[in-house]
Amino acid sequence: MSRNDPRILAGSAIVTGAGSGLGRALSLRLTQKGMTVLGLGRRSAALSVIAEEAGRAFVAVPTDVSDFDALRSAFATLKDHPPLTLLINCAAIYPHRDFLDETPESFMNTMAINFGGTLAATRLALDHFIETGFGRILNVATFADLTPLPTASAYSTSKGANRILTRALVADLSDRFPNIVISDWMPGMLATEMGLPNGLSPERSAIWGTELALWHATSLNGATFEQDREILPARGIKSRLKDGLALRRTKPRSLNDTS
Amino acid sequence: MTSEITSINWDVIVIGTGIGGGTAGRALAETGLKTLFIEKGPLGYRSEQNTLDPNISLPQARHARGLWPGQMIAHKNNRETRFFGPLGAGVGGSSVFYAATLERPEPHDLDHSDARPHPTGGWPITFEEFEPYLAKAEELYKVSGEPHSENQTNLRPPPPLSAGDEHIARRLRKNGMQPYHLHSAMALIDGCLDCAGHKCPFPCKMDARSAGVEPALATGKASLLDNTEVTQLITNGAQITHALVRRNGETFSLKAKQFLLAGGAFGSPRLCLASTCEAHPNGIANSSGLVGRGLMFHLNELFAVWPGITDPKPTKALGLRDFYFANDQRLGMVQAMGVNASYGEIAYYFDNLISQSKMRHVPMMGKLSRLPAALASKMLGSAKIFVGLLEDLAYNENRVMPPVVGSDDIAFEYRLHEELVNRRTVFRREISRAFKGQRRLFLSFSPELNYGHPSGTMRFGRDSNLSVLNASGRTHDHQNLWCADAGFMPSSMGVNPSLTIAAQALRTAKAIKETMKNEPK
Repeated sequence: MSRNDPRILAGSAIVTGAGSGLGRALSLRLTQKGMTVLGLGRRSAALSVIAEEAGRAFVAVPTDVSDFDALRSAFATLKDHPPLTLLINCAAIYPHRDFLDETPESFMNTMAINFGGTLAATRLALDHFIETGFGRILNVATFADLTPLPTASAYSTSKGANRILTRALVADLSDRFPNIVISDWMPGMLATEMGLPNGLSPERSAIWGTELALWHATSLNGATFEQDREILPARGIKSRLKDGLALRRTKPRSLNDTS
Repeated sequence: MTSEITSINWDVIVIGTGIGGGTAGRALAETGLKTLFIEKGPLGYRSEQNTLDPNISLPQARHARGLWPGQMIAHKNNRETRFFGPLGAGVGGSSVFYAATLERPEPHDLDHSDARPHPTGGWPITFEEFEPYLAKAEELYKVSGEPHSENQTNLRPPPPLSAGDEHIARRLRKNGMQPYHLHSAMALIDGCLDCAGHKCPFPCKMDARSAGVEPALATGKASLLDNTEVTQLITNGAQITHALVRRNGETFSLKAKQFLLAGGAFGSPRLCLASTCEAHPNGIANSSGLVGRGLMFHLNELFAVWPGITDPKPTKALGLRDFYFANDQRLGMVQAMGVNASYGEIAYYFDNLISQSKMRHVPMMGKLSRLPAALASKMLGSAKIFVGLLEDLAYNENRVMPPVVGSDDIAFEYRLHEELVNRRTVFRREISRAFKGQRRLFLSFSPELNYGHPSGTMRFGRDSNLSVLNASGRTHDHQNLWCADAGFMPSSMGVNPSLTIAAQALRTAKAIKETMKNEPK
C-alpha cells in the first residue's frame, strides 16, 4: 500500500476526455509526476496543444470513446509505451435537455459516451492489468444519480450506471485480483465547460484526483472519494453497531494526509 | 472442438488436474507420452489470488474462480446438510488453494505389524517400497522442512522459526515433545505471499498447477482441455474405448490408449458410477461393488495457543508427531494452521457451537454469537491456531452417491463410528497434555469432518473382491483404466494426503509407461 505508488508511476496512464477541463488538468499533473500519459479525446487540435505544453510524456491519441473499434486502436498504441498501470475514465458530456426534447437516439448517444466509454475502456484496460494482476482505475463520478436535476436525465442515468459498474466490477474481480484497484472520485463543481463559472479550478481538483489515482491499496477497491475526502457507505444503526464490535475502520480517509 | 484434439489417439487421457492428475500427467509427458489433461474448471488467470470462498454461491461465479460449482449434500448420521465444500474445479484442482503442507505418512500408515496392527491388514505396498516415490514427489514439489531422520537428505532447509513459534516449541519440549519444522511446498521466492488458502500468483507455491500441469505443458508433449467435463467412459469390457465429454454445450468423444482417473475422491467414483451400460449396470470398474465406498475424512481438532509473543504474521511452521500413534491407537499429527484467527473464522466456530447445541432453536442466537466472536477475535488475534488431523477408518457404508445427471451437487452418506469418537477423546487428551502450561482453547466442539481431505472411494488392494484398484493403481476390471487420486487410499493416515497422492501418482505413471512399452505399437 502506498501513495505515489512507484509501480503505477513506472507505467503508462490512459486518460479519457483528456482534451479539456479536468481530463486535461489530470493529464498534465500525471506527466509532471513522470508518467507517460496517453490522452484520449475527440478534439485532436486540443490534444496537440497539451502535447506542446507537456512534451514527450503526453501522447495525443485522438479517439471517440463511444467508438469501440477506435478505442481498441487507441489501446493498441500502448505497445510503444511502458505497460499500462493506470486508467482514468474522465470522458463525459452533459447535455442540458428536457426529457421531452430527448429522442431515444439522443439519450443513448450520451449513454454511449459517458457509460459506454467507461465500460469499454475499463474492459480493454483489464486485458492489460490481468497479465500482472496489478493496475489502478479511477472513475470520475458524480452524485447526479441520487437526485437528478431537471434536464439531466441522460447524464444522471449514465453516471449512475458507472457507479453501479464500479460495484459490479468489485464483486467480480476484487477477490481474484486484489491489486487491480478501482475507485470512484467526485471532483466537485468545477469551473469547466461542463461545470459552473464560479466552481473550483480543475487544476486544484486535479491535485486530489492525481493523489488518489497514484494511491495503490487494496482497501481502496470500491471506495468513493469526494474531492479530498472518502465518502463511506451509508450504514444503519445495526451495521454501525456491528462495525464497532468488529473494530472495523469507520473513519474516512483524506487525500491531504501525508501518511 | 478443434479437430486436432478429437482426432488424435492419445497415449493417455488424464481426467482431472489436481495433485494426482497433475503429478502423473507431468511424469507421463516427461517420458514422452502424448498426454491430454481434461479439466472441468477453467485454466483461469495466473495472477488470480482468490480463496475457496463458500459465500460465493452462483455456479457461474464459482466456476470463474476455480471453485467446484455445486454443493455438497451431506447425509451425516442421517441428518442432511448442504454447503459449499472446500473443493476446487480448475487447473490444479483443490491444490491451488491448499496450504502446501506436504507431510510424509508414518510406516504404520501403510504397514501391518503386531505392535501396530493395520485395520486393512496393510496396503498392497510396503512403506519401504513407497519411500523412493515420496522422495521423488518431495523433489518435484520443492519441499523444505526439518528431516524426520538423518538419512533423509533431500529436503530443502526450512526458514528459521519465528519468535512466537520458538516460544511454543520450547514449552512443548519442556513437556517431553519433539516439535519440528513442518514440510512445506512453498518455494519461498522473493515476494512470496504465503499463499496458504488462496491461489498463488507466482511460481512459488508448488501445487498441481505449478509443479504438475505447467511443467507438463512445457514439455510440448501434453495438451490441456479446460472447461471440459467427462460425462461417461465407454467400455467394450476389457478396455475403455473412448470418453464422452462436454465442452461449452457441445458433446464429443475422445480416444486414448490409456485412461487415468484423477477427479478426486468424489469425482472419480462419480464418473465410474455414471458410466453405466447394459454390461455394467452398476458402473465401470465396479465388479467389487466398492466404487464410491469407504469414504474417509480426517477429523479436524482445532485449537488456539497463545505464545504471549505476537508474531508480525501468521506462521505455518510447527508440527508434532509425538502422539501420532498412542495408547495403541491410530491418532494423527498436529500442525500449525498458518492462518489468522480472523473475525469471520472465529464467528464460524461460535456459530458452529450454537448450531450443534440446544440453543440453535433460540431465535437470533446465531446473530448473538457475533458479539462474543468479535471479542474473541480481539483476544485470539495474538493466538496461533493449530489443528490435529485424526485418522478416519474406511467403512463401506460411508460412500459417495452416484451423480444425478445434469447436477454438480455431490451427495454422500457418512456415519460417525463410535471408535472414531472414542479415539477423538484420546486425541484431545493427548493434545492437552502436550500443550500443558500454555494458554490454549479448543475450537472444535463436536467432531468436525475435514471435507478437504476425502479419500478411500477407489481403494487399492491385492484382492479384486475387496478393492477397486490393484497395487499399481490400475482398475482390476479394465486393462487400460487407472486411478491416481485420493480415492486409492485404503486408510486415511494421520497426515495431509497430498504428498502420498503425488507419490502414488508417480508410481501409477511409471506403471502406465511400462504397460505401453510392452504393448505392440
